[in-house]
Formats: sequence, structure tokens, C-alpha cells
Amino acid sequence: MNSEARAVLLAPLASCRNPWRVLVALLVWPLSMLVHAEEHAEQWQSLEQMSAQDRALFDPNTQTPRDAAIPYIPAEAYPFQAPYTAEEMGYRSSEFVHISRWPLAIVDLFGVVTSSGYINQGVSVSYTAPLGRPGLEGYIRDVKPGEPYARWTLFDTFPPESEGAQQLWLPYRTDKEHRTKMDFYVYSEQLRRVRRQPQPRRDQRFPDNSQTFDDVIGRDPWELEWQLLGTDVIYETVRFPNTRPTITLNAHGQGFVERPSASLKMMGDAYPHYRPDGGVDCWVVKATVREDWLPGYSEKTLIFWLDKHLFYPLRMEKYNAAGELMMIETRLADLENPQRGDFGYASEISVYWNVEHDLIGYSMHDGQAPRQWTEEEQKTIFTPEFMRRKWLITPIKTQALIREPDHFFLRPQLYVGRFPADRKPTVPAEVQARFDAQEAAGHLVFVTPGSAAAQAQAEPKAAQ
Amino acid sequence: MKIRTAGRRAALLVALAMGAAGHAMAGPASDMFSEVDRAMATFDPVGKYVRAPIERAVPDLRFKGFVRQWTDILLEQQGQTGFQDQDYRFLQLQNLLELETSYHIRDGLDLNAVTHVMYDGAYDWQRSAGLYADRYEQSAELYTSSERLLREFYVSYRKPSFDLLVGKQQIAWGKMDGQFIDVINGMDHREAVQLESEDYEWRRMPAWMANATYHFGQNSVQLLYIFDFEQDRQALPGMPWYSPALPQTSADIMLPVRRPQADKFSDHEYGVRFDRMQGSLSYGFIYYYGWDKNAVSHIVGTELSGGQNLLRLEPRHERLHHAGITADYAFALPNMPLVGTLPMVVRVEGLYTNGVRFVDFGKQALARGGLFNDGTTKRDTMRAAIATEFGLPGRSTFILQASYYRTLAWTQNLGPGFGGGFGDEWTLIPVAFFSRPFGFTRDRLTMELTAFPVISGPDRGWQGLKTKLRLSYKISQFVKAQLIYNGYDGGATSDTYGQYNHWDNVGWELSYEF
Repeated sequence: MNSEARAVLLAPLASCRNPWRVLVALLVWPLSMLVHAEEHAEQWQSLEQMSAQDRALFDPNTQTPRDAAIPYIPAEAYPFQAPYTAEEMGYRSSEFVHISRWPLAIVDLFGVVTSSGYINQGVSVSYTAPLGRPGLEGYIRDVKPGEPYARWTLFDTFPPESEGAQQLWLPYRTDKEHRTKMDFYVYSEQLRRVRRQPQPRRDQRFPDNSQTFDDVIGRDPWELEWQLLGTDVIYETVRFPNTRPTITLNAHGQGFVERPSASLKMMGDAYPHYRPDGGVDCWVVKATVREDWLPGYSEKTLIFWLDKHLFYPLRMEKYNAAGELMMIETRLADLENPQRGDFGYASEISVYWNVEHDLIGYSMHDGQAPRQWTEEEQKTIFTPEFMRRKWLITPIKTQALIREPDHFFLRPQLYVGRFPADRKPTVPAEVQARFDAQEAAGHLVFVTPGSAAAQAQAEPKAAQ
Repeated sequence: MKIRTAGRRAALLVALAMGAAGHAMAGPASDMFSEVDRAMATFDPVGKYVRAPIERAVPDLRFKGFVRQWTDILLEQQGQTGFQDQDYRFLQLQNLLELETSYHIRDGLDLNAVTHVMYDGAYDWQRSAGLYADRYEQSAELYTSSERLLREFYVSYRKPSFDLLVGKQQIAWGKMDGQFIDVINGMDHREAVQLESEDYEWRRMPAWMANATYHFGQNSVQLLYIFDFEQDRQALPGMPWYSPALPQTSADIMLPVRRPQADKFSDHEYGVRFDRMQGSLSYGFIYYYGWDKNAVSHIVGTELSGGQNLLRLEPRHERLHHAGITADYAFALPNMPLVGTLPMVVRVEGLYTNGVRFVDFGKQALARGGLFNDGTTKRDTMRAAIATEFGLPGRSTFILQASYYRTLAWTQNLGPGFGGGFGDEWTLIPVAFFSRPFGFTRDRLTMELTAFPVISGPDRGWQGLKTKLRLSYKISQFVKAQLIYNGYDGGATSDTYGQYNHWDNVGWELSYEF
């Protein structure tokens, strides 16, 4: 074992003062080392190289019959039967948007770190209430285009400056004729006013953030042209730094639970389809933005890694019209709504790496719990005027905020060389140098790679 | 003079741009910048060592606050300007500490308190004969009275469809920039024309009241019963923003203000507000039966002195009926040139006020000539605004807001009064606002530019232009800094902005929230 690997192994133990934590870490950490991505050979396969078993699950047809009532969606009854077309895979993956498609209460942590180590984070308690049946089918069929399909509220509890600020989102079911995506209200604590705001631009990242509006709300599957590129096996998505060996989660029904960060699996503990070596088999699907649906959209191509059994999007890359990498999103999911079975998975932690500005953002849904709102709650909570009451009816706490810049999540893997005909995940040289420094140190390095300052920043952390 | 001022503005902007360029530096400078960033990322001493231990010890107590330092400096010192001896540079050196606590008694029942203290060093930290207001009005310099220190204090009782808040509180009605239906609380106008919406939270004068709201479906009805009256506080003689167009003393005899009394039931105020949301449209109506927050001088007698008839004036507050509307509508325009889909919001707000009392200088002249009258005239006024907000690419926002003020049956002899034109029959202020964060600073630096031109008629015409440039920089999650330039150009020396032509200033604001 080289010194770097030993430092990575020992880092979590050094900061664990509780003997039980030490014991758990001792048990789990070596296992995590076994499944470390570097130790796995690339297993991606192009469409032509796919196994017969995978080929049997794939329908290459691109001209499938259309639905009689909604002509832009497939006629086959959702959730479709194998073999699946690429389009059907896209539809299935659209089930798992960033905000789950069922009524729930969560505490939403989000943040960004810059390459200099500036952190901006926020915490909001969020309640959601779909207006149709839970799930994608309820979104497609239970509300008409031009009508809201859900109501979401956000009550800020961090940072102190925005404590008490609130938002009400009324996202709309859209089509080519009905382009309004959302009614958007903001309560400003400083102004003590509820204000309707213009909807955010869909392909534009939020200020001081790396997430775009569509990263949150999702793109409709009919706005994209779907194509299967092949299959792959991935072993990690969201990556914790070696400076953050544990994370305290607000687990539904259990309160605060401290978990070794390396023990968090890509699809949670209940997912039954892990490979024996811990990997997740994925379809790799390319989605090209349809200009007739999204004119002037800055993102041209999206490449998804969808888990092969549930079509859960574990990784997504965005490329612009010039084929340049714009962003990589990775997710760590879990079964948050067991009643919905295979459709009950939801994002726990998502990392968004905006390559242009080298902004690493995250969104974490802590304390997730499905919630059945009473009729009275539905009528009163999800209105603009409710925000003036400054009433957080169900406080949900979190202890998962990032305290130090170098505790931030790592930039996602680049997977250079996979599917070279369709993706070129190259980044500017300066960003690549920071990426390499991060890979060497096991945590983010905020100073000039290779400088004495970088050495100083890397060494004490590895020794802690 | 103006060329020099423009040069200073340019120099200021260059300096700001250079400061922000720290992000683009490379090598040792960038590493030093990173060291500062990482140190500041965890700088929250009050949060760590005061707030967190208190909240841990008393789980039902919520505690937060901020410290803020505001400084505004005149770009040029003019000496005697109108009636003002402008022998000072600092318009304010204000330091504000605010603490907000909330104790959760039981489900739906909370006790809330906001306390704050402010010290303005403008009176102590510079030599000035022109600034003397602290000698007769202590709150100009330091808040020491319980009225100022205890800012809010109320009990809130909540059920899903009902709220009741009783105690000292502030109410902000309306959605626009500026005050249109935001009429419930008085305001501290010590900054005169420089006071803007973002400071109302700290300048509003909270009042004791009962505030109940009933929510049903997409509707809500709010009822206010205000048993304590708080008037506006204007910039006083000897304050930096006292109007240079007004004399600092008067030969007339001023009697004490006759103000509404809390212990007189007939002096209490009432308000009602209804709101409704209907898809992309939301709207509301208000009615408020209250007092004019500014007293109007009535002639109660005359006195002969040195061969002149002096007026005995008693300032009184007047009962007013206010009726207002507010509405907003959101939509997106598809396929717009250059910007693609253009999200937009339109907001409108209007207030009609019945029975506004104006000082009538014509009648005062008659009284001085021996024809006794009370020296006032009653008129109705209206004020309204329509704003359109555009969501532009680059996380930029553009707002156009046309504000209109009118005094009905106006005559030239009328002085200022609630809601009407500014020294004229009507006044139009077409405000333009543009805001944009800078990507090269990872959006930490944001620029806001606002232009406030004032046009009125039929008498005055152009009353001047105020321009405001603000650069905000997020130092960390807890600390924010701002640099602000305010310029006043054009108009005559008695006009709204024209009188402040020599008040161009630059300021900074540093705040730490915990």
C-alpha cells in the first residue's frame, strides 16, 4: 500500500473519537477501498459490442406508434415492456426528476464551492404536493398543458441572511403551445413582501450556483431525441473527500444517524441489483435537444447513465452545440418511498460540476419523508399569502452542512475515453490541473496546483 | 464641476473593477485570495459561540441577528448650500446591531421580539457646525429610548386557517418598489430622498396593534386594529439630509403637535385587506382608516410682532380614508429576438386617499394680512405604479416601473401632502432598474443600476434625476460588502432631486449576519 492510499485509509479513523464510529469505519472502509473506481477496469460497450442479453432488452425502433390523445408521446402503455426503445428509456428516466413526483417533506441543502474555496450554501425546508397522481404518468395525463401539476414551497433556514425567506413554485405541465413553466412567488423577509417573479430561464444556472432551473424541474422526455449509445458499469457517482469520513443524516424515523461516507451506496442499501463487485450496470443514452421544442436552448446534448433495471439516472453530462462539456451531474439515490416500489427511488445527494466556471455544487435532500397533506393543509400552505405568515409548520433539521471548503464533494470522474464518438469530456488545462490535484490529494485543492501552497494544503489533511 | 464629478465616478468604477478582478489573478496572488476565502468561509464567531450554545440550551428559542456598518461620504463639500451649511463630508456613519428572538411556547403559540440599537458617528466623528440635530433629538445619533430599542414585540397565535398577532409590529402591504399601499406604519425618513425599499425594514416605525388574518381557499382577509399611532420622522434641521430648500428656523410661533392618543378609542386606526390568487393572476384590495403620518400646520391664531402678523401654528394629524388595489400577472413571451423565451411579470398598485390636508400658502398669506382662516385645504390624492419585470439571459433582471402621483383639484398655493404630486399637480417617475451578477466572480459580485427621473406638471417640469449604482460582493455566507454611488443631477434648487444636486455621495455597507 503506498503512502497516499494509507493516508486515505487512515484519515477517517484519525478524526473518529467515538469508539463505535472507529469500529464501523474499520469494518466499512476497507470494503470501500475494494470497490474504489481506480481498481475497476473500464467495462463500457458500444451498441455494436453489447451482449446478446442486453440486445434482447433493447428495441432499436425509432418510429414507434404515437398515443391517440397526446400525439407526441409513445402509444405503448407506460411504464412499457421490454424490449425498450431509447425513447422509452428516456421516459422511464424522467420518472426520477430532482424533486420526487410524490407528496413529501424534506430539508433541502444546497451549495457551491469555487476554485478559490469560497462556499455559498443554503438550507430550505421544502414541502411538495403533486396535483395529479404521483409519478410521471400523473404528470403527463392528469393535468392539461398550461396548468400547474404540483405545488412546492421552500422555507429558508440558512444562511442567517435568508432565514425566513420563502418561495412558492407552481410548475406547469407544458407543451409546444403552453410554454410557461412556472408561477413563481418569493417572500422576502427584508422587504416583508410576497412578490411574483418571472420564471427562471430554463437553461440558465441559478445565481451563485451550478444548478440550472431545468436541473431542478426536469426536462420533458418529448423535448429530447433519444439514442442508445451502449452500456457501462459505474462504481461511484457522488464522491466524498478523505477529509469528510462521516456524514450525519436525518434518516426518516431514526433521527440523526452518523454514517461513514464511504458506506453510502449509489442506489442505497435496498437496491437489489448491485453487481457482486458493487458496480451498477447502466444503459448509456444520448438525448439531443429538439430545436422545435426548445428553441435557442444552450444545452445541445445530454448523456445519461441510467441504471439498467430501474432507469434511474445516476450520471448526466451536458454538452453545448460545439460539443464542449458544460456540466456533469452525479447522484446518490435511495429508496425513499417503498410504497412506490421501483418508482420510489429519489435523489439524496446530487453533485453538479459546472466546468466553465469550475463551480462544484451540490443538492442534498435530507430528512425525506412522504407526506399525505390534509385537505386543509393543501388549501392553506401552498398559497402565496401563506408565506406572509412566516410559519414553518413542520421544521426538519439537518446536520449535513459542509463546514470547511475542503470538505466539499469531489469533482465527478471524467471517464475520458468512453464512447469517444459521442462524448469528449475535455476540460480547460487549468481546470484539469485542479482535477488532477484533487485526485492526488483526495480532497479539493484550492491553490495553484504544484505550488508550495498546494503541497501545504494537501499534506496536513492527509495526515489528520 | 460636473466633469470632475464624472472623473471621480470613472475612477471609482475602475477601482471596483480592479478589486473584483482578484478572481482572475493567477499564481501567488490567487493563492492569497484563496487563503482569505477559505478563512472567511468559516468566519461566524457569534453564530458559533453565542447563537448555537443559546439555541442548544433553550431548544424552543430561536435567535439571530446582524451587525451592519453603513457609511456615506459626500463627493464634494460645498459649504453654504441653500439654507444648509454643508460643512461636513459624512452623511452617515451608522452602526446597527439587531437581535431577533422567537420563543415557541406551544403548538401555534410563539412570542417574538426584535431589539436593535443604532449609533451614527456622523455627529461625533467630524467637525461640523451644520450638523447639530443630536443636541435636541438624541435618536438622530443614538437609539436610547425603549420606543426605539424594542422594535417589535408580539405574541402570535396560529391555526391553519387563522392568524392572530398582538403587540408591536410592522406591516408591509404591497409588492412594488416604493410605498403605494404600504401605508400602515410610519417611516423614519432621516435619509430623505436616499431612503429606498431595501431599507424600509429598518426605517419603518412599528406600532402596537392586533393583526388577524383568515385564510380560505385561494383567498385571505386581514383585519388590523391599531391602538398606537406612530408618525413619520422626517429629516430635521441639523441633519445631513435636511432639505436645503427649507429655512432652518421660522419667525412664526410653533405649538406642540396635536397627535392621536392611544388611550382614546376614537383615535384608533383600522385596516382591512383582501387577497386572492387565480392562476397566473393574483390581486388584492385594501381599505385603511388611519391618520396622516405627517402633521399639517393649522393656523390657530396670529400675533403682532415688529409690525408683522406672525402665525400661531399647531401641527395636527388628519384622518384619512385610503382605498387601494394590487395585482400581478406572470407570463412568458416565446421566440423573442436575441433573448428567446422571455419570462415577464407585470405588477400594478394604486391608492386613492380621501381628505388629505395640505398647507395652503395662499390662505396663510391672507391670515398674515389679517383675514383669519386655518391656513389649510383638503384634497383627494392618488398614487399608482405599474412595473414590468423581465428575466433576461445572464441571470440579469430589468424592471421598468412608472410611478404616478396626482393631487385632485390642485392649486398652486398647496404645499406637500400625502400621496399627491411633488410640489405640483402631478408627478411621474419612470424608474429603470438593471441588475446583473458577474460570472467571472462566480456571481459573488453583482451590479445594480437604477435611474429615477422625476417629471411633474404643470408647473415644474423636470425635477432632476437620481442615479444609483450598487456593487455587492459576497465575502462569505455570513459577510457581505457593498459599494454604493448615489448621484443627483438637474432640476432647480427647490425641486425634488434638484435641491440635492450637491449631495452626490459614495458609501459602503458591511454586514455580518449570524
